[in-house]
Amino acid sequence: MAIDLIRRKFLFDSAWGFGSLALLDLLNSERRSVANPDGRQEVTSGVLHHPPKAKRVVQLFMAGAASHIDLFDYKPALEKHHGEPSDFGEKVEAFQNGLGPWMKSPFQFRPYGESGKMLSDAVADLGSCVDEMAFIHNMTGKTGVHSQATYLQATGFQRPGFPGVGSWVSYALGSENENLPAFVVLPDHRGFASNGPKNWGSAFLPTSSQGTTIFPQRERPIRDLFPKSELVTPKSHSEGLKLLDKLNRDFAMTREGDERLESRLRTYELAAKMQLSAPEALDLSSEPKHIMKMYGLDRAGAEYPESINVPEEIEYFGRKCLIARRLLERGVRYVQIWSGNDNSFPRRNWDSHEDLKREHGPLARGMARGAAALIKDLKQRGLLDDTIVLWTTEFGRMPSTQGSTGRDHNPHVFTNWLCGGGVRGGITHGESDQWGFKPLDRDNPTQVYDIHATLLHLLGLNHLKLTVRHNGIDRRLTDVHGHVIQEII
Amino acid sequence: MMARLRLQILMAVVLLGSCGVASCYGLEDDVFLERVVPVFQARCLECHRSDLSKGDFSLENATSFFEDGYVEKGDSENSHLFELISPQGNHRAEMPKNGSPLTEDQIESIRVWIDSGAQWPDGYELTYDAKVARPLDYDWWSFQSLVKPAVPGLVDSPNRHWIRTPVDAFVLEALERKKLAPSEEANRRTLIRRLSYDLTGLPPTIAEVKAFEQDDSEDAYERLVERLLASPRYGERWARHWLDVVKYADTCGYDKDKLRPNAWPYRDYVIRSFNEDKPYRRFVQEQIAGDALFPGTEDGILGLGFIAAGPWDFIGHVEVPESKLDGRVARNLDRDDMVSNTFNSFCSLTVQCARCHDHKFDPITQEHYYRLQAIFAAVDRADRVYAVDPQVEKQRKALKNKISKSEKSLAKLDEQLNRSGGSALVKLREKISALKDESKKPEFGYHSKVESKQDTLKWVEIELDQPDSVKQIVLHGAHDEFNNIGAGFGFPLRFRVEVNGRTIFDRETADFPNPGVTPIVIPVSEPLKSVRLVATKLAKRKADYHLALAEIELLNSHGENVAATGKVNALDSIEAPVRWGKANLNDGIWFESSGETRKELQGDLDAIVLSLIGASGVERKASFEKQIAETRKALSQLPTGKKVYAAATEFKSQGNFKATQGKPRPVYFLPRGEVSSPGERLEPGIIPLSTEGKVGAAIQSGESEAMARSKLALWLTDKNNPLLWRSVVNRIWHYHFGRGIVETPNDFGRMGGERSHPELLDWLAATFRDGGESVSAESFKDLHRLIVTSSVYRQSSNYSGNGTTADSGNRYLWRMNRRRLSAEEIRDSILHASGLLNLEMGGPGYYLFQLEKTEHSPHYEYHKFDHTDPKSYRRSIYRFIVRSQPDPFMTTLDCADSSQSTPARNETQTPLQSLTMLNSDFSLEMSKKFAERIELESKDPSERIERVFQQALGRDPTVSELPMMRDFVQQHGLVNLIRVVFNLSEFVFVD
Repeated sequence: MAIDLIRRKFLFDSAWGFGSLALLDLLNSERRSVANPDGRQEVTSGVLHHPPKAKRVVQLFMAGAASHIDLFDYKPALEKHHGEPSDFGEKVEAFQNGLGPWMKSPFQFRPYGESGKMLSDAVADLGSCVDEMAFIHNMTGKTGVHSQATYLQATGFQRPGFPGVGSWVSYALGSENENLPAFVVLPDHRGFASNGPKNWGSAFLPTSSQGTTIFPQRERPIRDLFPKSELVTPKSHSEGLKLLDKLNRDFAMTREGDERLESRLRTYELAAKMQLSAPEALDLSSEPKHIMKMYGLDRAGAEYPESINVPEEIEYFGRKCLIARRLLERGVRYVQIWSGNDNSFPRRNWDSHEDLKREHGPLARGMARGAAALIKDLKQRGLLDDTIVLWTTEFGRMPSTQGSTGRDHNPHVFTNWLCGGGVRGGITHGESDQWGFKPLDRDNPTQVYDIHATLLHLLGLNHLKLTVRHNGIDRRLTDVHGHVIQEII
Repeated sequence: MMARLRLQILMAVVLLGSCGVASCYGLEDDVFLERVVPVFQARCLECHRSDLSKGDFSLENATSFFEDGYVEKGDSENSHLFELISPQGNHRAEMPKNGSPLTEDQIESIRVWIDSGAQWPDGYELTYDAKVARPLDYDWWSFQSLVKPAVPGLVDSPNRHWIRTPVDAFVLEALERKKLAPSEEANRRTLIRRLSYDLTGLPPTIAEVKAFEQDDSEDAYERLVERLLASPRYGERWARHWLDVVKYADTCGYDKDKLRPNAWPYRDYVIRSFNEDKPYRRFVQEQIAGDALFPGTEDGILGLGFIAAGPWDFIGHVEVPESKLDGRVARNLDRDDMVSNTFNSFCSLTVQCARCHDHKFDPITQEHYYRLQAIFAAVDRADRVYAVDPQVEKQRKALKNKISKSEKSLAKLDEQLNRSGGSALVKLREKISALKDESKKPEFGYHSKVESKQDTLKWVEIELDQPDSVKQIVLHGAHDEFNNIGAGFGFPLRFRVEVNGRTIFDRETADFPNPGVTPIVIPVSEPLKSVRLVATKLAKRKADYHLALAEIELLNSHGENVAATGKVNALDSIEAPVRWGKANLNDGIWFESSGETRKELQGDLDAIVLSLIGASGVERKASFEKQIAETRKALSQLPTGKKVYAAATEFKSQGNFKATQGKPRPVYFLPRGEVSSPGERLEPGIIPLSTEGKVGAAIQSGESEAMARSKLALWLTDKNNPLLWRSVVNRIWHYHFGRGIVETPNDFGRMGGERSHPELLDWLAATFRDGGESVSAESFKDLHRLIVTSSVYRQSSNYSGNGTTADSGNRYLWRMNRRRLSAEEIRDSILHASGLLNLEMGGPGYYLFQLEKTEHSPHYEYHKFDHTDPKSYRRSIYRFIVRSQPDPFMTTLDCADSSQSTPARNETQTPLQSLTMLNSDFSLEMSKKFAERIELESKDPSERIERVFQQALGRDPTVSELPMMRDFVQQHGLVNLIRVVFNLSEFVFVD
């Protein structure tokens, strides 16, 4: 495996003459000092302390809070008591006013696969994958405020200023392909969720570990990959790079010993390679028909009505999933796909306060089609064995109504699922109570720290050891929490 | 004096009588008391005691210790507790959760104690004491008093001629101790480029370079320094450093990331303060309590932008009330940001580590921390008026006087009225005001499900337990202020009313005019068991239909409403409490803004008033009221002065975000930082910096919030606060050399960096504080001068001599550090070279994005920005900084992230950075404009290239470079050459 060599070349964060090396480079050294992003020296122990089961991650993030009880967490009690006044057995502080009667899901649930897992019709497409998936129904959060909760799930802290989970992973492991960024984000095409790019920012980690956003539908999907101006031609570009290289080389030669000046030469070589690799990775024209169909991309040139609708959601989410697969197979370490934008009107996210069926229907069908295609596609290429698929959202929704057909926020319990990359399939770990209001075992819920600890564990990293000192604190992705969920691996 | 320095969680190891420990107990007791108990107390009791009992386990007494079977007496191997404290394979022991694991000796003692029977002396109790668990330890350099050290003499040093300033003496002394020698002085071109970027953030012009190179006067360098320090560009450059530390941005961050259109006056204040060389104490004091310490000054308000500079959660403050947990969490985090901003920035102390537990490394307890939060408990971040026109103020005062005069006269009249009117008048008034209140209640009424067809049948009814002699049914139409739907919302067009299943009121044949909120009274002539309203033609909503009704009253012969005793049934209902629900139909609440009752009551009132004070009195009363209203209107139309986004206790409410009016919110001690389980309420207090804890002024209980902040400001800037002075000179040093004497400018605690030159740090701090050596006290410009005129600063940045191996990281400054330009410097230099840089100072930030959808969550669309817009050709410090969606160009170049304090910028080299420098719309537009200008100025190909080099690099092309450039330009044009030049290492690095 040549990762460490490539990695060394890729990440040229250089502070005060120490090359800040990827932690992976430390694989063979017990203790070694490196410069951290502040330019200070620190000692990091060998981080990869066990062989990894997974090499890469694709995370699907449902912005606005996707309802567990309408997608994956079947609650017969809600069907039985539908319409009766809700009684939680305790005082409940709703975010808005969602303490109406119990409300059953507007979607039917049916069993799937050998495990017989019950899924709602809105995510029926995932039925064929359930035996690969591990569901966690006792996720609990800390707040019902979107921004804080999104930060918590995306960075492990409920406030700004912390690196995204993908930044930690790419900081630690780097990319498998020097010609592509290690961490790629595919935001919802309609806009950013709460907190925008701060959900995948590098914060105090090197800038190179921040998520690179790709907007496949834009004229220039990757910002600044190519010049827009007609003044620069392919010829003038390549000749310009040659001239630049010569002049920068001369400059470096008269300033011997400064590694940064050498690194800079290399960044331009890599930039040129990225210009070749990235468009190829985003180009779907070579994908055969049956694959396009699988992802729901067989309706080229289709036009969609203004109101939210299933075919449009399928196409947009499916496209991101297919691009994700292409990036993953080309060595991108972490891909994050977002579904749902901010809380503007009309709603185009999962925050269904008014009418659950209206948004959850199309969003879930679109998500399920793309996610199922991605899982199957990764599997048929043998990539699922070492690729983790993680489905997350910032919190769940209440089992009671808000308005007549909406649901309020439920930070107390929600669902995550994982699959591939060493995750045991066809199982459920942790349950919610009969209503889907709180974890069944309230003293032992699962938290985002546990998910992150497990993710890192599967990648060969000990979450307790992956630390960076920042403003006086040895920061971890999992703060002072987190347990690897042994039951699902 | 400080109220109470620490939570008095009393601990008393109960020693029995006067007998010595060992003599009273056996040998096992010795192990227990001398070796086991100290471990329990220091490492376990913090969490495992009865008032917290993590995992329901307490180590306080024998009963609680043994009851859960965690310990098998005599058998450590089968004791769960022993398993928990022992490492498992490669994994660390599960307990203690916090801090380091127990040492082998400690584990061994516990093993021995368990194996020998785990004897626990009768009645022996352990009590937690934070002081035992974690004594406050001030034995750390940054807490020690600041005394100016002597400057090293170095009379025997071969390099003594190298010493220009005391700074050089300290650095040379360290170099010689490490057997290192300083580097030669850099050449003139390098020096002027270095100084210009360092002091102003801009490169020198070619003319300035040449003039300096040719200036052979002895003080050429010193005069250059003076010129640069006097330039307004200096403040723009150094303010940026400060804004990095305090997290300045022009939006709020978090969800929505709303604009802060009035943040910029604080940014301008910082720039001006640096340019004016404001004494540091004043600068600090203005930022914490300028309103109270310097009343009447603009800077006293503008400085408070510091407290408000960081992120703010719109949803957590505006949409969620303080009565909810999420609302309190948001406010707790908001104060945390204020406290950490203050202590990280001014003291380099990471007090925020004590939010959830006592600071693990530095002497700061959780109680200290929450007392600091209490100092900021009355301020919020909001727009605050800071400057007014004196003329306007005069008018305002006059109008206010006029109002208060009229109000007094009116009050006199009212008093007279009340005296003669007696209780009847009071009661009548109360009744009217009660009616007014009721009309605002949010329980709107009943609302059916919506339908797509208008003729869908809907019904709602009230069913009594038993028939009652109801005389009248009163129907009240609903009123929904949402979207101005207004009165009579959802009232059916056609309907009938049935009593006991029989129609008594039929309006089904023709459309019924909407009654608004006028009640409809229907007489009843039989005992009533149930009343049902059946709608046969529904009211139209937007594109659909529904039935809504505020109330059904059932009045008996005494006029009492008996509806509330009944049960409401309906065909269907949307049940959206509190506004809509079946239960709202008989809750006695409906909208009645112009109801008859109130009109009648008002009529009664008017009549009484008239009888009491006569027609002339009524007229006078009306005229006063009119006058007051008119004056108020005039007052509201006066210009209110300029606004700055700052700490404020008074501002216009927005949803649940309400000003405290100076009344502090309660701040509680929060065990484990959990807002849901508050402990004792804490008063404001300042942290001690020594075991005596006497530094600074204490805050008295009951003092105003402004006074508490003032005392904090005075304490921070006390000459005896060693942290303040050390912290600030270290920052200045850091920015000059790229690295601080302490490498962690925000953390001088035990987790912070080591000092490379401890004596130099103290000498600089004391000199800056007290003055001396041609430095006036607290003058930044004097401090800069002292540093940049030193020989250390003037060294070449080349690698040579034994430093390359002995000190490759240049910790001891045997050479100057070469650095890459910051994001702002790169952008400003490109504008400067292109001849487009507009040096206009101050004012609202310019956009580098297209702003869309501002009504909800603003979209900052950078990819849609038109870089030909000359408004964006100003210095980068004046750009509008978006917190959650930062500028991609600047971010790629390691610009500070305004979500966190950035005491030191990263300096990275990445392929994405190269792509940005090569291909960004900005780089290309500037290349184009630059080329157009040069092509106008000169026709000669060589001269054109010379000009590009001169303006971008401050030098002429070399003989070997020129032909190469000419070939390139001939083939690809000047634009392409300029694009290359902007990417040169020479362009983005400073030697």
